[in-house]
Amino acid sequence: MSLSRRRFLGAAAAGLGAAGLAATPVSAAAGTGATVAGARGPGGLPADWRAQRKFDVHNHVFLSGRRGASDWTDVDHLIEAAGVLGIERLYCSRPITAGVMANIEAVREVNDTVIAAMRRHPRQIFGYCFVQPGTGPAALAEIDRCLDAGMIGIKLYNQFKYTDPAVYPIAEKCIQRGIPFLGHSAYLTDPKTLALQPKTSHALDFCALSQRYPELILIMGHVNGGGDWEWAIKGLRECRNVYLDTSGSVLEEGTIESCVRQLGHERVLFATDATMEGCVGKMLSAELTAAQREDIFWRNFQRILDRRRA
Amino acid sequence: MIIDVNACLGHYPFRALRHNTAETMLALMDRNGIDRAVVSSLHAVFYRDAHRGNEELHAATRAHGGRFIPVATANPRYVGWERDLAEAVERWKMKAVALVPEHHGYSLNDEHGRAVLKRIAELGVPVALMQRFEDRRQRHAWDRAEDLTPPALLEAARAFPTLKFLLLNWLGLDGPRMVEAGLKGRCLVDFARMQVVYRKDVPRLIETLGVEALAFGTHAPFDYVAPSLIKLANVELLRPADREAIAWKNAARFLGLE
Repeated sequence: MSLSRRRFLGAAAAGLGAAGLAATPVSAAAGTGATVAGARGPGGLPADWRAQRKFDVHNHVFLSGRRGASDWTDVDHLIEAAGVLGIERLYCSRPITAGVMANIEAVREVNDTVIAAMRRHPRQIFGYCFVQPGTGPAALAEIDRCLDAGMIGIKLYNQFKYTDPAVYPIAEKCIQRGIPFLGHSAYLTDPKTLALQPKTSHALDFCALSQRYPELILIMGHVNGGGDWEWAIKGLRECRNVYLDTSGSVLEEGTIESCVRQLGHERVLFATDATMEGCVGKMLSAELTAAQREDIFWRNFQRILDRRRA
Repeated sequence: MIIDVNACLGHYPFRALRHNTAETMLALMDRNGIDRAVVSSLHAVFYRDAHRGNEELHAATRAHGGRFIPVATANPRYVGWERDLAEAVERWKMKAVALVPEHHGYSLNDEHGRAVLKRIAELGVPVALMQRFEDRRQRHAWDRAEDLTPPALLEAARAFPTLKFLLLNWLGLDGPRMVEAGLKGRCLVDFARMQVVYRKDVPRLIETLGVEALAFGTHAPFDYVAPSLIKLANVELLRPADREAIAWKNAARFLGLE
């Protein structure tokens, strides 16, 4: 049997009308405060799971690389998957990873590919500007260039701990422009992994940056991206200005409820970081009120976007 | 009908689990439209005498009719394991045997691993291999278990050409290499850690191993259930017969369920 991706997802998307978008309206319990999962359809999922509005605040383009300017394979797969899962908007970056201290030319190049993806899918893909703090003033100019091209925030990886003074000018630029700062994070307890990522920031690093810059819109990336997520949530309890996104490949039961219980649902943002069906599923399984689920799925991030300055 | 082939009962030493008793697992299954679950004992992984975990599992599940399909756990480094294994499979009719070589201190392909795989093959039931219980990047200081690796799996598959393999919570399986090792037609892989919609893990495995090699699995109570329901919802739209195969028929055939 030949099972092409196009056929596979095409069949899935074709089913949306019957199975999702045109189906049951939002749960009658929406906004009532009741802890419900909504009306259940066949197969155990809420009947309206696809139709629930979703902004994925942490995703990437060209994760699997790009073979020339005409290669849109990765981006098109991302858009197809978002359609199948009912994700309306994807907030994407293309960070340079593995601890590489990229120069500004390499940084501009990856950001250009994000801008190209935004132009190809202007209603679905929105960009974060990746910067490497070690490039100094050039990083600040790159942020301005990215924002002028329509990006909505910045993304940092693990080249520097976020307590490093090299990061401060980036944070100050974010405050000046009123944009969110999304940071890679993990509290790594496995010595082998930690040795590979010694400058990955954890919750207390985010807290320290937030205490220095209380007005910074700071998002700690992927609570389930590897590392002790229970430690990460507890570490953020005293840092009320730090948001947390729900993404990551770990799908452990109780994560979302723990975020909401310990931080308040207003600080929690839906995201997938490319674990797309897994992270939509986490939100659907979590014991939340319909209003909490809606806030996490999109409204909390819309409030962040509304704080941007011209 | 949905059969979840990847579930456990009991406590895990490094994290609090909910839905980990027979009663709470049944409630979770009912809320999510899951009819039956293949369950093994987490206590059997961590007790010195794994068979005490099997005894608990047998006692906890037998009152619930066919809702649970219990799986025995064997530790080939513990005295009397052959007799215990026979009791679990022949007397209690457990449908598969789980091995946790990383937790019990041996490898699939050393003398202990070979001995227990040989005995499981003789008993005519599948061996169940969980690649990992949780992500090593968050491990407790006392958790030293590494993930099972595809090369070790393939070596064991070649060494026991009639043995059936129930592969739980795996990622990184290479379909063509599994075919080469003779696993096509004698393995069942659950998709708890794989992707259907964005990355192509499941469609790729179907292309090489056939749809009969895939099964619905959640890794409950460790993981949320809805991610696997979404995968099934999208497999469903491929072809109704394939959806049924993955949802339950493959598991029923592979495990010899009524």
